[in-house]
Amino acid sequence: MNKKVITVAIALVLLGLFVVLLFGYQVRQSEAVVVSTFLKPTDTVTNAGPHFKWPWPIQSLNRFDQRVQTFEDKFSENYLADHSILLASVYVGWRISDPQAFLPKFRGGSTAAAQIQLENMLRSAKLAVIGGHNLGDFVNADPSQLKFNDIEKEIQESVEKELAKNNYGISIEFLGIKRIGLPENVTQSVFERMKAERNQYITEAQYQGEAEATKIKAAADRVAADVIANAEADATRIEGAGVAEAAKTLSVFQANPDLAVFQLELDALKNSMNQKTTVFFDETKPPFDVFRRFPTGPSSGTK
Amino acid sequence: MSDHDHLDDTHAPETQDSGSQALSEALHSSFVIVQVAMVALVFIILGLGVFRVHPGEKAVVLHFGRPLGEGREMLKSPGSLYWSYPYPIDEVVRIPIAEIQQVTSSVGWYAMTHQEEVAFDSLGVEPPAAGSLNPRDGYVFTADRNIIHTRATVSYHIEDPLTAIFHFASGTNQEFNLAGVSNAVQNAANNALVSTAARYNVDDILTRDPAGFQAAVERRINELVESEQLGVVIDPGQCQVRSEAPRQLKDIFAEVTKARQKRETLISDALGQQKRILSEAGANASSITNAAESARVRYVTAIESDAEAFTKLLPQYETNPKLFCELELTKTMSVVLTNVGEKKILPTRAGGKSVELRLMLNNEPPQPKSAANP
Repeated sequence: MNKKVITVAIALVLLGLFVVLLFGYQVRQSEAVVVSTFLKPTDTVTNAGPHFKWPWPIQSLNRFDQRVQTFEDKFSENYLADHSILLASVYVGWRISDPQAFLPKFRGGSTAAAQIQLENMLRSAKLAVIGGHNLGDFVNADPSQLKFNDIEKEIQESVEKELAKNNYGISIEFLGIKRIGLPENVTQSVFERMKAERNQYITEAQYQGEAEATKIKAAADRVAADVIANAEADATRIEGAGVAEAAKTLSVFQANPDLAVFQLELDALKNSMNQKTTVFFDETKPPFDVFRRFPTGPSSGTK
Repeated sequence: MSDHDHLDDTHAPETQDSGSQALSEALHSSFVIVQVAMVALVFIILGLGVFRVHPGEKAVVLHFGRPLGEGREMLKSPGSLYWSYPYPIDEVVRIPIAEIQQVTSSVGWYAMTHQEEVAFDSLGVEPPAAGSLNPRDGYVFTADRNIIHTRATVSYHIEDPLTAIFHFASGTNQEFNLAGVSNAVQNAANNALVSTAARYNVDDILTRDPAGFQAAVERRINELVESEQLGVVIDPGQCQVRSEAPRQLKDIFAEVTKARQKRETLISDALGQQKRILSEAGANASSITNAAESARVRYVTAIESDAEAFTKLLPQYETNPKLFCELELTKTMSVVLTNVGEKKILPTRAGGKSVELRLMLNNEPPQPKSAANP
């Protein structure tokens, strides 16, 4: 009895496995499965996990990777509206958004074929959009003049429009300019211009340094002169104030102006004579006339 | 029925029983083998489900294709043993992943071979430059339409593993890894360098505001990472941007730097002189006003003392002015004659006439010319 139960259990397990393999399928994360009934797409399953289907030939499955695929186009030349040439390359992140629409458009649902188609569309869109802009729209120090983001958006919108028109089942997740540049021979001209600019900067720097230094020193001299002039004016004012203050005392001298003048003269005499002064005296004048008063005294030649 | 037949009849069941028994025994032993095999198979299957995560990688278990766990818990780290059901129930996806991912931009730097890159990184030796840049050489175009080389190295970490691992493909294969999202971050870095350089002038990038340029690049990368929903976070301050003038113009750029440094030195010296001149002027001004103040005090004091002396002397003067004057004059002369350097007393001649004295009052006569004084 026990043996029969085990046998039956094993048989049931094997049968179960067979049924699961025949009727079941699994959808991986990031995968989409298109279920076709009698070769006609009837359902799209995007939920990861186990699912059931009718066995072949009733239903068949097509699996699609729904992850974002990234590619970049060639670094190619584009003519701008201002007749200059700009090399540009664009990167694109795209994914299969509608596997049922995608499946019949590309043989076997090939992402490689889809990418080639997308590259062609991108090339056309890039040429058209970039060709409508000037170089100043790509590089500009003035943010209001710079249209870098707008250009990216225009290219993306152009590609999206084309995709929607043909119902490719593809969506653009992001698009950006990867690189811009100039034709090889133009880079040499740019280097020559840059060199000329640098030489100009060298001259400017030399001139500016000397001019600025002279300006600073001249300004300092001017300020210093102003400071001294102001100080001298202050000094004059201070001295004037002293004179005015002293004038209050002058009335004292009114009592005898002759004595006052005599006193001042004596002071002047004392103050004006110093170590560097050489004085010549006539021996007839006081106080040297005292020598003449003696009967015999020193006379000429005294130094 | 004969005896023989009877005998045959009595022996036949015995033969049948022994056959059945042998078959039964054979089946029994086979069944035991199958049972043992089944048990062994169960153990093998259970054993095969045990897995370990190697250093430098993380693992995600897909249960019927769906990741087990939420957020960062989804990632199984090295250091433990894990178990999963056998395929196709569970699938262990191994992803080479470090805690911090790093990516370097690929568009702004000149082309180098591997050997040249090694020499550049270790010794700073630049490969020789041609007169122009070919399309293999990376560079960016600045707002003032100049060309420079620049590259960004960005560190980031995985914030949302579900997005970073399962939303970006690294090619047409079905493998799960971080190559897809890493490629997307690199494209964001490339775009950030190109678009940011497009609004910065060359001197701002190289000398005036390299930090501002780096911050602007980082901001742009963050914007793109967010808008493109890459499931990663750029580590703050971990976007390093290195920018250089084209190799073809290195010398002239260095000359400009030198000239600008010289300009700054001249200006700095001038500012030093300005400081000195103003300081001296301030000191002189103080000296002038102090001197004036002293003179004022001295003058007022002198007048006051003169007035005081005048008041004291006036009675004596009024008593005998002539005598007073002579006395005062003599006293003064004695002081004067003590102070003066030279005193010359001119004698009178016999007739009472003074000696005629001739003095040369011009300045010092010029020195005669010589080899030392041409």
